[in-house]
Amino acid sequence: MQTLCFQGLTKAYGGVPALSDVTLTLSAGRVHALMGENGAGKSTLIKLIAGVVAADRMTVTRDGKTLPLRTAAEATKAGFRFIHQELNIVPQLSVAENVLLGHPAPRRFGMFIDWRRMQDKAAAALASLGAEHIDVRQQAGALATGDKMLTRIASALVAEAGAAEPCLYVFDEPTAALTASESTKLFDVIARLKAQGAAVLYVSHRMNEVLQICDDVTVLRDGRHVLTTEIAKTTRVEIIAAMTGKPVSDAIPARTTPVGQGVACRVTALDTRDLSGLNLSLAEGEILGVAGLDESSQTAFLRLILGQGRIQKGGLEVLNGPAPTSPEQAWARGIAYVPRERRSQGLMLGMGVRPNALFPHLVDYGLLADKRAEVARTRGLADQVRLRFQGTEQPVGQLSGGNQQKVLFARAIAKNPKLLLLEEPTRGVDVGARAEIHGLIRALSTQGSAVILASSDLVELLGLSDRILILQGGRQMAVLDRQAMTPADLLARIYASEAA
Amino acid sequence: MNFRSFSTALRQWGTFLGLLAIVVFFAWRLPETFPTAQNFLNISQQISMLAVAAFTMTIVMVMNDFDLSVGSTASLAGIVAAVLFAAGQPVWVGVTAALAVGVLGGVFNGFLVAYIGILPFIATLGTLTMFSGAAFMISDGKTIFGRDIPTEFAGFARFGIPLDAIGLEGAKLPLMTLAAVVVLLMVWLLLEQTTFGRRLYAIGGNRVAAELAGINTRRLRLMAFGLTGLGAAVAGLMYASRVASANPTQGAGLMLDAIAAVFLGMTMGREGEPRVLATLVGVLILGILDNGLTQMNVDSYVREILIGAIVVSAVAISAFGQRRG
Ligand SMILES: Nc1ncnc2c1ncn2[C@@H]1O[C@H](COP(=O)(O)OP(=O)(O)OP(=O)(O)O)[C@@H](O)[C@H]1O
Ligand SMILES: [Mg+2]
Repeated sequence: MQTLCFQGLTKAYGGVPALSDVTLTLSAGRVHALMGENGAGKSTLIKLIAGVVAADRMTVTRDGKTLPLRTAAEATKAGFRFIHQELNIVPQLSVAENVLLGHPAPRRFGMFIDWRRMQDKAAAALASLGAEHIDVRQQAGALATGDKMLTRIASALVAEAGAAEPCLYVFDEPTAALTASESTKLFDVIARLKAQGAAVLYVSHRMNEVLQICDDVTVLRDGRHVLTTEIAKTTRVEIIAAMTGKPVSDAIPARTTPVGQGVACRVTALDTRDLSGLNLSLAEGEILGVAGLDESSQTAFLRLILGQGRIQKGGLEVLNGPAPTSPEQAWARGIAYVPRERRSQGLMLGMGVRPNALFPHLVDYGLLADKRAEVARTRGLADQVRLRFQGTEQPVGQLSGGNQQKVLFARAIAKNPKLLLLEEPTRGVDVGARAEIHGLIRALSTQGSAVILASSDLVELLGLSDRILILQGGRQMAVLDRQAMTPADLLARIYASEAA
Repeated sequence: MNFRSFSTALRQWGTFLGLLAIVVFFAWRLPETFPTAQNFLNISQQISMLAVAAFTMTIVMVMNDFDLSVGSTASLAGIVAAVLFAAGQPVWVGVTAALAVGVLGGVFNGFLVAYIGILPFIATLGTLTMFSGAAFMISDGKTIFGRDIPTEFAGFARFGIPLDAIGLEGAKLPLMTLAAVVVLLMVWLLLEQTTFGRRLYAIGGNRVAAELAGINTRRLRLMAFGLTGLGAAVAGLMYASRVASANPTQGAGLMLDAIAAVFLGMTMGREGEPRVLATLVGVLILGILDNGLTQMNVDSYVREILIGAIVVSAVAISAFGQRRG
């Protein structure tokens, strides 16, 4: 194959256009970036060419010959492989079964499933990603978020005996859930696919990656094509301008006021089932970053403060009182939380923006619903996070990935929390909205709210935090002053603690 | 602002159109006996017990749970009241005790589901047998009837509000119908307008997320099951009053019909979620089919096949409409 041409891609959802007459040409052996703000239509484009969603109009040609592409099966047959934006592993199945999902299971005597060979095949696919640490017999639902993503990527990489060599790999924000080192391994894999002569379509909001690994870029805005060019012939600023239609600064606002005097949270020699030896105190208005390769201890730490988990030893004092004993109590006392996985842990996808943004605070709107006040509040919050939506009653599941994330953040800031617990708050959020969210976090801190921010985005972590806690295997490895640290320094510290 | 497509609207209103079609069909085939005020009042009374059970069943189904034990709860409630009547207790004592039994049974279901963590299907399948066994034990397996049932109690199902004022000479709005309407209003208020109800929908939307966002999911589930139990007891009492007797199996048919009514209603939800007004449509479909087919002398076995087929096809059509974006 030399070129794949998608022409006239058009899709409207209930009369509202999501993609209007977009044309995209991909070449063998080149990595093509697809960029645009949240809701620009990137994932929609991908769902059309994957046959997951029916296109209103679409013509596909490969080397000049028309290709039928109406169902997912036809897309697979054409040699297209997809890693969609939203995590969709099957949590009850093992990792091996997930990796080989959609591929015929290896069989013994053509009858019984050959579990051994299945596991070997899955392990080989994971190894090609440098993910040997994942046990293929484990239940996939129990994996960490990053490992789930690696499992899905491995699934797209499994070679199928007898089938045509895949000619197109599509990645929709694969690195949003990966650590820096996992991303690096993914980039190696992409380079290999490219060398093998496949075309790659790559979606990401992280400008650095795009500049580093892509050859061409196409930018969408409001479902329309605005720019296609070679990466070598463009700049970061030009791409951002094409995406937003105006220049946007992605600089993170620095602290302008000193941290407060009062203590928001004090942890003394704390042990729980998942954590041990935690010792620190957090001032009002302070932003504490939490870093480390092992996200489950970060989650355990934040959830402990949210009232989940039992203290075995030591003390935890939160907002001048004992630790909350349930999330219900925590929210009532002014603690707000953004969980790591927006779809499984955060949102009611079938429900509207309004209930999703407001439901921890429903009592504030009275025993009986006051729809007017709620709609007004929802609109105010949506403005603050730059939500792109069609109405306060639109189901959240219909929003683009980044906009879903914004709803989750809006919920957390809806009532000026005194203590804000954040896990990956800007995951999948575009440049402009990311700056907006960083601004909001900084503003809350200036008003005296304490923030605990767990993030794998080191730039974000260093830009916002006053101090950074490094957690590894549930233990406190260090509390670093962020002054004068670069992402490289921080990364070195993180790896040093892993080795320790 | 309209992000609902025409086909979604059609899917949502399809079930309602189905109801209208059924009414029109019977009105055409039975012009003398079906489309009369008296028949509609009869239907309203016939379906009132199912309606109460289905409305309150909606409360747990909003959270993606369900309760298989409502039928035996209804039987048990009827038996408890009748046994107390037979022992010479006044009506209010019997009724209060029966309602308390319903709430306790429901709370027990909620406890098993929310605090012990047993799947609702299994937990309520277990309590279905337990409650049914209890009903047999208390009644010795006998039907309680005749002089044991006080006339005030049985009278409830016979009385109605005269409708002469609105031009329907001799017709009466049955108190049973009125009771069902009151329950409907209360459940509607509870689910659609109160914080409590909206939290139940949030739990149904994503239980993990609801818990992390500060909703006490266990307590709410417990309370919701309690209300469903209460509704089942009310339905059981209404039934006992209507037939002026109580036996340990008389509520048995209630559970499947109540669940079927909620499922029929769910085909009308925007995201396939249960809504109590939609449950009403489901109840009406089941009740009117039953009434019309009986009048047409359709064999009762055939009737069951027809009703089952209609429920399955309604749900299938709605699932098909939801398929692709
Ligand atoms: N099922 C749906 N129903 C209605 N509208 C939808 C649906 N899916 C997507 N949309 C709308 O289509 C538009 C494009 O969404 P899409 O998911 O393609 O954005 P995106 O570019 O991938 O954004 P992100 O960077 O946030 O992932 C959005 O406005 C979204 O609300
Ligand atoms: Mg997307």
